[in-house]
Amino acid sequence: MLVFAASDKGGTGRSVTSSNVAYRRALAGDDVCYLDFDFGSPTAAAVFDVPGASRGVASAGLHSHLQGRHTEPHRIDVWAESEHDELRYRPTGSGRLVLLPGDRDGGEFAIGKDTVRRCVNLFLQLESEFDVVVVDLSAGRSYAVDMVLEATAQPELQGVLSRWLVFHRWTHQHVIAAHGLVFGERGIVAGGVERGHDKGALRDSIRFVRAAVPDPESPLWSHVPLAQSEWMRKCDRDLTELAAELELGYARLLGKIPLEPVLQWREQLITDEDVLASKVAGMATRQALEELAAALVDDEAWERQ
Amino acid sequence: MTEQIFRETTAEPRTQSLPLAHVSLELGHLYMEDFEEGPDRLREHFARVKPWADAARQAAVVMSGNGRARVSTCFLVDDYFTQFSSPRELVPLLLGEAKAAGLEIDYLARESACAQADGVALAASVESRLVESPPEGSDGSRPGVREVGWLSNGQRTPSSSTAEAMGRVVPWTPPSEAGARRHSIFVDVELWNEDPRRTWSCPFLAAVWQLARLGLLRHRGSPVLEPRALRPDQTLPETWSALPPLLRLNDAAAPFAAYRTTSVLPSRFLPIEHAVRVILSQVEADAAALRQVAERAAAEGTQVPEEIADRAAYVFYPGP
Amino acid sequence: MAPPDRDRRPILCGEVRTSVLRTSEALTARTAAQLLNLRPDEHVLLSERPNLRVASPQLLTGVDCRLPSLNGSRPRAVGTVAARAVLTEGRVLQASAFARLVPGGGDHRKPWGHYLLRPGVVEPLGRHQDGEFTEGFLAAAPLPGGVLNPGAVAERLLDEVLRHRLLDQRAPFKSGRTRLRWVALPAAGDGVTSIERFTVAADGLRTVALRVAPADPSAVAALCEDLALHDWLLTTLVALVERSRLGSGDREAVLTALRPVVDHLLHLWMPGARVPDVLSGVWETLERRPGFSRQWQALVQRIRDQVALQTVSLPRPVLADS
Ligand SMILES: Nc1ncnc2c1ncn2[C@@H]1O[C@H](COP(=O)(O)OP(=O)(O)O)[C@@H](O)[C@H]1O
Ligand SMILES: [Mg+2]
Repeated sequence: MLVFAASDKGGTGRSVTSSNVAYRRALAGDDVCYLDFDFGSPTAAAVFDVPGASRGVASAGLHSHLQGRHTEPHRIDVWAESEHDELRYRPTGSGRLVLLPGDRDGGEFAIGKDTVRRCVNLFLQLESEFDVVVVDLSAGRSYAVDMVLEATAQPELQGVLSRWLVFHRWTHQHVIAAHGLVFGERGIVAGGVERGHDKGALRDSIRFVRAAVPDPESPLWSHVPLAQSEWMRKCDRDLTELAAELELGYARLLGKIPLEPVLQWREQLITDEDVLASKVAGMATRQALEELAAALVDDEAWERQ
Repeated sequence: MTEQIFRETTAEPRTQSLPLAHVSLELGHLYMEDFEEGPDRLREHFARVKPWADAARQAAVVMSGNGRARVSTCFLVDDYFTQFSSPRELVPLLLGEAKAAGLEIDYLARESACAQADGVALAASVESRLVESPPEGSDGSRPGVREVGWLSNGQRTPSSSTAEAMGRVVPWTPPSEAGARRHSIFVDVELWNEDPRRTWSCPFLAAVWQLARLGLLRHRGSPVLEPRALRPDQTLPETWSALPPLLRLNDAAAPFAAYRTTSVLPSRFLPIEHAVRVILSQVEADAAALRQVAERAAAEGTQVPEEIADRAAYVFYPGP
Repeated sequence: MAPPDRDRRPILCGEVRTSVLRTSEALTARTAAQLLNLRPDEHVLLSERPNLRVASPQLLTGVDCRLPSLNGSRPRAVGTVAARAVLTEGRVLQASAFARLVPGGGDHRKPWGHYLLRPGVVEPLGRHQDGEFTEGFLAAAPLPGGVLNPGAVAERLLDEVLRHRLLDQRAPFKSGRTRLRWVALPAAGDGVTSIERFTVAADGLRTVALRVAPADPSAVAALCEDLALHDWLLTTLVALVERSRLGSGDREAVLTALRPVVDHLLHLWMPGARVPDVLSGVWETLERRPGFSRQWQALVQRIRDQVALQTVSLPRPVLADS
């Protein structure tokens, strides 16, 4: 399965949340591969705590590979190379967790026929090897999104299951922007249709994920004055309404990750150690990530219209 | 297709050999424009070719190494880019004008035969045999530098549109010829275009034509573009497609294929033949065919240049 | 005085990439021939005994690069790398690229036509040491850029074939690719073929060093393709058995996971089936240590036992729980 992680804006929580989902899928026993397609800012490796790769790798990153400068993209076996204490040993029963980083200092590049061909080859190869292939895409209307829409429209990829996760924060602007990215005139659906995708099928393969959602009932806000918490509740209700109007409502919602103080301070994986032993991260966050990881591969969650 | 595309590994690989002349001498190449100029144009053409053709025969004797040389002559008519006249009208005219100049045409080929002959897609086969000359630094990891449908004799100017955003500004570098002596003569040859059907370029078909004349084309071991004469009861047809792709006009002629080729052409053909050389120097010819030619030549005591491109010689005469 | 370069017998080197063919059903001989018809004017080679093996015509890629070496002195070399695709039993696809290093190429690059007349030959410009080359080439790390890389040639060929429209892109099971990088040096004295090393590195890379009796480069490459095929089979079987959680998970799930293994892999084991006599000896060594077939048989036995157990216990679900 190919999973495309997109967002209209940067800083939504796309990379951190999708990395955590990849991690949780691997813990559940799937062989998982994570691709950094955020070409303008290749920093996904940082979340996995891989030394020397936090800003991408010195050679054979995805930039070089897709532009034809390197036949084989560099692969990082997270269980073997991560410096994170909890990641250093592969838990029994878990699947592989492999990261394909970008080039250090790599930038966005224009997409040609050859780039798309290489991208198709890469997807086909990884799909035949891994259960879940997560592709973290550049924010907004980017070459990366164009390229994967073009690649997935090719006949070779027709038999391959693709799913899209669109991340957004829980604010007025973010909700509108996420709607635009998916359903807008120059959005994912329109762009996909232009490249030969079936409109209905593409729409049905897209779900939204709300990241860093503040919960007015959370103990975090238990000390705020009553007026303020009332106001927060009202905002939350308004947003829920707006989301429903803009087709970002329950039917298309795959997950909701609470605002997590640990993540506000540091981009990282939320391990069980963080939640259960050192208790720095919230149980609710772990729970939400776990549920999102399960929903990702739950066909029923994707059949809801 | 009734023929099998595979061969049992245990079966003996057999590549049929061809009879060979010393030199295949091309007396001309006819396009519609020339034809439209009328019979005078043909007459003038053959008159100008005659002295060079004689010289080419003498040179063939010198190079054969044994005092005699088998030379066959050929002529190519375009029926690929434009179709004009008809075999019934044109062939007698052509033969008559050649004869008037004291020349004999042994073989007549249709240009479309270089694209497709007797059900075999010759041009496509030759294209699949192109192996580009690698620029320094090619370690096998980069795909060929060739743009699809083009072939050059060196390295192009890197395109700036492939650069990354906010990457370093790459200064312009000139294109360069592989193995240039001090200065480059860079050429980039269009092999075909698609609008919307695939049309092979004139130089590419001319390169196939050279390989055919050098006896280096095979299709799964069998010869292709074999000369055929009209049956005694047959007359020249009305349409070009009804004419054999390579027509034998002279029963006593030396073999069509030869160790070397000489083409006598008006000088405006020079750029095309330069392009042909660029193509020939990057074709991996059938190994068994090459070996057969080399063995035959050695047995006859004739020298054949090792490189295919060097086997083709030209006379460019000042001409219309 | 050192003997002049041209008296040395050439060394062969290459790399084989092995992958499952991404198609739900194994290809028949006829379809396989269509798949591997990479050069319309040449034959696809087919052999049906003792199993179905189809090989594409050989293709060339031009190289002008450095020869690998660990000590930093990397002579330049020019020539062509030969490559072919091989399909076994319509199921396992290999791309194999190899070259023969022929000394005596002079000091300067010759016109390209010279190299095209020597398919699969790479000529070092200047002197090189066989030992240096071998160590540099087989060093486990990815080869540095600008250094002769047959693996990259093989990889591209593999990708090209795997995208063919004859394939439905539905492999019966998940599996990775393996790479086997090899060097064959001329055998000393009596000219007996032997294997000097077989190492298994991370990331699916295997390295092999052989000493070979005088033989056709294509036959040596075929021997390495055979080694790579069986190494891939074993690697893939081990991974699939591990994933099936044989011995721990619930029986039915284990069986579902193992089903494609039984259907698509178990009959492929046939080490040395086509290796010519002059090159035999390599398999004998490997069978002694590490014992490829022993490990394979043991795994197959475990799978068979599991299947047998399941069939016995199926009608009696109560027993299956215990
Ligand atoms: N659930 C969350 N709670 C709090 N902060 C979060 C949460 N998810 C992500 N963040 C933080 O938000 C910032 C942006 O996240 P990131 O994943 O890098 O966004 P993107 O990839 O969309 O640009 C990071 O500092 C990250 O740690
Ligand atoms: Mg990010």
